[in-house]
Amino acid sequence: MATKDKNEPRSPRRFRRAQAAALLTASALLLTACGGNSGGGAEPAANSSEPVQGGTLVFAEVTPINNFQTQSARFYEKANVLNSVLDRLTYFDAESGKLVPWIASKFSGNEDNTEFTFDIRPDVTFSDGTPLDAEAVKANLDVLGKGLEKAQIQPNVDFSAYESTEVVDEDTVKVELKSADANFLRATSSVAAGLVSPKTLELDNAGQSDIAKISGSGPFVFESEKPDEEIVLAKRADYAWAPETAKNQGAAYLDKVVVKYLPEVAHRAGAVQSGQVDLVRGLQPADEAAVTTGGNQVLPARGIDLTANMAAVRIGSGKLADEKVRQALQVGIDRQALKDTVLSDSYEIAGSILNHRAPGFVDLSADLAYDPEKAKSLLDEAGWVAGSDGIREKDGKKLEVTVTSSNNSVVIKPAFELIEQQWREIGVKLVNRAADNTFLATALQDPKVEFFGTRQFAYGGLGPVFGPETNTQTLNADKDLNELFAAERAAADEAKHGELVAEEQRALVLDKALALVLWDEVQVYGAHSGTQVEFTSGTAPIFQGAWKTAG
Amino acid sequence: MGRYVAQRIGQALLVIWLAYTVIFLAVQLLPSDPVTIFLSTDSAVEQATIDNMKRQYGYDQPLLVQYFAQLGGLLTGDVGYSLASGEPVALRIGGVVGSTIALAVSAFATAVVLALAVVTVATLTRSALLRKIVLNLPPLFAAVPVFWLGLVLLELLSIRWGVMSLFPDGSFLSLAVPVFVLGVHVSAPIAQVLLKSIDTVYNQPFIDVLRAKGASASWIFFRHALKNAGGPAMTITGITVGTLLAGSVITETVFARSGLGAVVLQAVTTQDVPLVQGLVLLTATVFVAVNLVVDLLYPLLDPRILKSNGQGSPRALAV
Repeated sequence: MATKDKNEPRSPRRFRRAQAAALLTASALLLTACGGNSGGGAEPAANSSEPVQGGTLVFAEVTPINNFQTQSARFYEKANVLNSVLDRLTYFDAESGKLVPWIASKFSGNEDNTEFTFDIRPDVTFSDGTPLDAEAVKANLDVLGKGLEKAQIQPNVDFSAYESTEVVDEDTVKVELKSADANFLRATSSVAAGLVSPKTLELDNAGQSDIAKISGSGPFVFESEKPDEEIVLAKRADYAWAPETAKNQGAAYLDKVVVKYLPEVAHRAGAVQSGQVDLVRGLQPADEAAVTTGGNQVLPARGIDLTANMAAVRIGSGKLADEKVRQALQVGIDRQALKDTVLSDSYEIAGSILNHRAPGFVDLSADLAYDPEKAKSLLDEAGWVAGSDGIREKDGKKLEVTVTSSNNSVVIKPAFELIEQQWREIGVKLVNRAADNTFLATALQDPKVEFFGTRQFAYGGLGPVFGPETNTQTLNADKDLNELFAAERAAADEAKHGELVAEEQRALVLDKALALVLWDEVQVYGAHSGTQVEFTSGTAPIFQGAWKTAG
Repeated sequence: MGRYVAQRIGQALLVIWLAYTVIFLAVQLLPSDPVTIFLSTDSAVEQATIDNMKRQYGYDQPLLVQYFAQLGGLLTGDVGYSLASGEPVALRIGGVVGSTIALAVSAFATAVVLALAVVTVATLTRSALLRKIVLNLPPLFAAVPVFWLGLVLLELLSIRWGVMSLFPDGSFLSLAVPVFVLGVHVSAPIAQVLLKSIDTVYNQPFIDVLRAKGASASWIFFRHALKNAGGPAMTITGITVGTLLAGSVITETVFARSGLGAVVLQAVTTQDVPLVQGLVLLTATVFVAVNLVVDLLYPLLDPRILKSNGQGSPRALAV
């Protein structure tokens, strides 16, 4: 296997590295506790101070990435940079849970959600000088909805109902959809729907992926880069079109943001504590205490735009074809133990497949309570009986299931290690291949690999995530679910829509149990004591409103 | 000599072609094609989109057509496009390979110096204790994983003492420390083989003759023993290229340096199969090229290779 050969040595190394990291952390903690090192220098965290103008914020991302084309794959590494460079038509305000005006000063839909009108804010320009007017918005929406053949850009999955845009006048556009989509407006708030200059859209694929060539209307503009090592963004002094609810309505306080990369998880806490970075993403739960004791901050950014972390179920191997088995596994997970052992206070146990703060969230936690006895009797009912080694069997097949996931989350592997223990008690063997990217390359498209550990962006309904036959979660199109998704998307009034979104959650989590939900998506950032920063509903840092106090 | 050279070069080309073929077949063995794998990093993509992108990158063509098209491209230096960035794979790799070469070459030089130092001290010292300590260094170096040494040094130098940055900033330490970390690791096998073959050489009768003629210990070591022990060490040097490349990738990741390591990380994170394909091919080519150079240099150290009329391979003699 091409990917395999190359990376075979990486997985065991990663694992050993994780152990070494744990050892290092432990020794660091010990030394700190002995008072042998005072490196942290506990300054009091500045909380309610006035914003400070100027300065450079150094932000350490996880992996360098070089595909910055707006709508292709939604990696955090990419969104966290683009969020400061590109504006969107609308903004999802996490506090009120509502969509508010941004580049669209007004937006509305017709009664059956097939036609939407956006009033474009006047006087907004892209950083290359091109006006952000109705024509520019139309050009962007066309690419989102239809892709761009000449630059090999594929349509955005959240815009699958898109038909066309009509420029009504200089600052008004009217969007026609092929079919009703109650989630269309929300999707326009996504970083993946960021607006770029029409001149950017004329570039070829490589050009549109190159952060140096992308021109947006955001509060920061690209200044320089060292490929794979850093990106420097400089503030745009004339920025005056922040989202309606943003505390800072003008230009960014910071002069510059420098994005660097720390692929090595063991250094992230130390980077903040030694003051070499002001903000770092991807802190390990084990490092959180060290960061706060040093007087610095642990900032959990809630993934309101995302599903909970889950083990999505593929039924291809046949072992999980019976929903009773899936339901048994759902209640066979002790989520509180997961939080207590593997996670931290920054994490919240999932109450459904949607985030607790997401519009339409319905609390299913009572049905998700840990109940090994119920799990056992469900498995008995399904005909799986314990074999000599304690693992259940049916028709000569063992109930041995496999999980795959990327290594993007720092907690996913230990989480499945604990679940492996929990399931053993109900007679199920879990083969844990989580965080093994090499295995993932083959497993992602293999319906016989029973679980895919993941979380996905979901702007409203869950249709785009679980609907298509090609969806990566279940690799299967479920007829009943798809009827439900279609009804939800077509729902005309808000109350009805909410009801159907709730029904989707119940179907996916309880009745069909195709998503074993674990914890709400969260990205845990470490911040130096003097750093003031908030995050979007998609966990991206809002550098436009960030500042640094002296020190 | 000419025949020997032509044979070696021919063999090298054959190995590269076989490597290309194996990589191509391995990609076909994946449960789906590169485009589908790449697009599955998003939650759900419609079949029409997948088909469209396959067409754009030529993955809808029959396998044989793909095989020869890619082989033809390879001959002209075109190894396809990175699906993630749309950039040609050759350009993407070419843009950063210099940084990795700088690291690898410096680390290799450090490794050779370290290995020679260990062998020289171990052979010439009169102190039994020092000899014992030095003899134990190579196994220690081999046992210390690259990433661990890198982590510990950064933890101490950067986080605890603040004398260097966690990020590459062009300072002396930011190059010297990764070079040292990688050099230490690579020096181990070279020193071990060199020590072993020096031992073998010292057991041969001509050393006694030299001693009887009154040659000094250092004269014997530098003028005779080292040269005769050099062959096997050079062979192992060719083989350490693999260690060197894998070590570079790890070192670059630990030290957040740009280079092949970052590209590997990206290619794997974004499931960019053509980019991985290019990287594997590059690794194979470098491996073959370095071993070709070793094979070509070998007759200079040991003329017996050519006299054996191509019967015994240098490897057979070396071991």
